[in-house]
Amino acid sequence: MSNNQTKQKTVKASKLYGDYLVMLVAPIALSVIFYGTRALAVIAVSVLSAVLSDLIFSAFLRKNFLLKDLSNVFIGAAIALMMPAGISLYVPAVASVFAVITAKIPFGGSLRAPFVPAAAGFAFATVCFKEQIFDYSYNSADKLLGNHSLGSLLTQGNAVYLDTINTFDILSGNVAGPMGTGCGLLMLACLVFLAFRRKEALFATAGFIAACVLYAAVFPRINANAFTSVVLELSAGSLLFAAVFLITDYAALPEKRLTRFVYGAVGGVFCMLMRTVGTYEETVCFAVLLANGFSPVIDSVVKKLPSAVKAVPFKRKEAEK
Amino acid sequence: MSNNLSFKEVFIKGAVIFNPVLVQLVGLCPVVAASTTLKSAVMLSAIACTELIIVCVIASAILKSIPRWARVPLYLVIGLLLICPVLWYIETKTLINLSLGMKIYIPLIAINSVVAVHCEQFAVKNSVRLAFYDAAAVGIGASVIFLLVGTIREILGNSSIGGIALNLPISFKGMLLPFGCLIILGFMAAGLKTFISKRHPEYLEVSAPVAKKKADKAVAEANEPQPVPVEVQITEPVETLKEKIDEPKTDADDIKIKTEAEIDEFLRSLGINLDEKGDGQ
Repeated sequence: MSNNQTKQKTVKASKLYGDYLVMLVAPIALSVIFYGTRALAVIAVSVLSAVLSDLIFSAFLRKNFLLKDLSNVFIGAAIALMMPAGISLYVPAVASVFAVITAKIPFGGSLRAPFVPAAAGFAFATVCFKEQIFDYSYNSADKLLGNHSLGSLLTQGNAVYLDTINTFDILSGNVAGPMGTGCGLLMLACLVFLAFRRKEALFATAGFIAACVLYAAVFPRINANAFTSVVLELSAGSLLFAAVFLITDYAALPEKRLTRFVYGAVGGVFCMLMRTVGTYEETVCFAVLLANGFSPVIDSVVKKLPSAVKAVPFKRKEAEK
Repeated sequence: MSNNLSFKEVFIKGAVIFNPVLVQLVGLCPVVAASTTLKSAVMLSAIACTELIIVCVIASAILKSIPRWARVPLYLVIGLLLICPVLWYIETKTLINLSLGMKIYIPLIAINSVVAVHCEQFAVKNSVRLAFYDAAAVGIGASVIFLLVGTIREILGNSSIGGIALNLPISFKGMLLPFGCLIILGFMAAGLKTFISKRHPEYLEVSAPVAKKKADKAVAEANEPQPVPVEVQITEPVETLKEKIDEPKTDADDIKIKTEAEIDEFLRSLGINLDEKGDGQ
């Protein structure tokens, strides 16, 4: 994409992914608190796989390998945090390798990749290792709902009534689910950090969350009030994580504020639609990839909108005359 | 195209340089849908190759005089007429078992865009011999890709090859889905382009941007303002003009003077020194 090539000159990958990694420190720490050293092992394997695959394929293609751009570290860590702690170590490794060699390197690096590499890697792992990806039984004895994730309960149409449980457990991520993406409070803190560092990217996040909230309120999957439906949908799986870390990916982000909001909203609608009618309980990565695919279209369509809107009153006046 | 092309030249162009699947991107539907195992890829290759050769030869031999709008449906009808009896024979008279997944895509294979494209682009414009060469080359090129894709997808997706289990520790079910095939094709296309750029770089020079630049240049040249011919009004009578033309030429007529230097040189040749004359005055 030519837009991405011009964008790449205006930003430093190390600074961009450095910020993301700073934001990831808290979820990583929380995953270690919940799951112990197992979480660290999964993250380490994932990050190492991403770095090594980039090193090997860059050598094979005779390209410069840049560890300092930190994109591989971010890809590996993000993929690991979206997985359950008890997963076999080869799954995050395969996902990271796939992300690097199919979604990053062929397009000339993370800042040019039209599809978010971390989302691509996780989506591939979901398709190939579905049973392992959604097995949240590891260390789930002291969790709020045992080994049942919020996503699986919502898929089955089972409600968790907020007035009967400790809501703080849900908001802090103390529910069976992905290792480091369930804590809504942390994700809000990351959003605040993002607001200071990359304010423009928040339009996509706002669109994504607004679409999800609206959809969950209007079409709840459970027999509960709109507020409960919204809280549970936002807390389930990696939705908020994707809203902060994936939908704001620099290369796929449209240029203007309005287009970014629409792009995020499209991703949110896809996410909720796939949650409602899809076969997987966690669909946010597929939604992000679909939104990435639609990003150039959204950009071109929304750019044309203001002129069309302006033309309407003009035509009306002419008709009145 | 010259009729003196050898099979080797046609083969390199048809199977490698302009590979139907990886370069021209035609016939992708059957590959993506049906080449999930080596067996189905062999079947797909056999059907596609045979159909392509027969239809191209028929197109080159007897369809040249038919108008274009009628030719394309004819290719596809001929293809179906060829495939249906063969499949009926396989189903009823042999013990070969076509899987259900394969059967669904048979119409897709029979009405193949590779056939329509190569019949229309090459076969109807060339001799039967060249049409046969081209169809064979294209068929072989496509078949190699079908087989490679089928083998890779079966190994990665099913941990087996030709139905024989390999007992690999990991299998990737995603590779059996259409996106897995498209990823494999993408990497193969990149590899083929690298090969062409190293071995046959002359074919990469005629890329779309270069062709567009050439076309733009030609258009600009065509649009350049041409010198307007000056109309000469003849006022004198024709007889006077004839007399002028018939007059013997003088030396002065042959002298063409343009610049001051030429004037100086001319005067010097006549023996007149301008400086001396000026000094004298």
